[in-house]
Amino acid sequence: MSKNSKDLSWMARITRWFGVTCEDTTPLISELMDHNLPLGKRLRLKFHLGMCGVCRIYEKQLEIIRALARKLGEDDAPTQKDAGLSEQVKARIKTALGDQN
Amino acid sequence: MAELLNSDLWVEQYGDMLYRYTLVRVKDPDDAEEIVQVTLLAALQAKDSFQGRSTEKSWLFGILKHKILDHFRDLKKHRTYELASEDGPDPLENAYLHNGQWANAPKNWDTDPHKAAENSQLVEALSMCLDKLSEKFRNIFVLKEIEGLASEEICKEMEIQPTNLWVILHRARNQLRKCLETSHWNTRK
Repeated sequence: MSKNSKDLSWMARITRWFGVTCEDTTPLISELMDHNLPLGKRLRLKFHLGMCGVCRIYEKQLEIIRALARKLGEDDAPTQKDAGLSEQVKARIKTALGDQN
Repeated sequence: MAELLNSDLWVEQYGDMLYRYTLVRVKDPDDAEEIVQVTLLAALQAKDSFQGRSTEKSWLFGILKHKILDHFRDLKKHRTYELASEDGPDPLENAYLHNGQWANAPKNWDTDPHKAAENSQLVEALSMCLDKLSEKFRNIFVLKEIEGLASEEICKEMEIQPTNLWVILHRARNQLRKCLETSHWNTRK
């Protein structure tokens, strides 16, 4: 695990100094979507996102996935358009309802 | 207001709607059919308590949501939510250079969350990708992002540790990212 600082770009050096790399950041981006992070972690995350366009793209991708999931969850979501109960199943349910009524 | 209800027409009027709603959350069509039936039977039993404060449709969907959650609770009895090899590798496992920067930078999807949600092809692509997740990942992702349950509630209901929940959600999101990138953005002209 030789991590020679001469190999690192200026951004990598700063982020290393600040304690957050892209590798450290991605789980935090996801985690922040689920619950609040402690202030220190949140600040380091915001600092990294402020200077790393690639991680901002990753963050946006996760937000897009969240928006798609919410849309999919609506009762008029544009999926399964052709899905429906078969006539056989409908008949079975009607019988069950009739038996209970 | 109970006279507004007409259980005879429920199956014809709402059956397909309830089924499609369930199928997004529960992958197995047999389970989805069963949940619709259980929902309508429960609605019939509770018919007299319908106050007419909501429409018949939203009342039925309210019962359906409870039955879907019951289904997830039942599943929990038969399986664990610990990570396992069947859940697949984390797509980000080898995504970084030795200095912690991206080796293969994520692509700009050239849209925003609001526009993406209006794109039915994209929503369908997510639906297909969701079905490729392991059952465990799919269930947890559905509870969090589709049912909108709070993390604490999922941990309590599914009896999992918060750290385990975050790892599952993070990996599920990464698998969905990879799948969407392959199935949608790579196939665009």
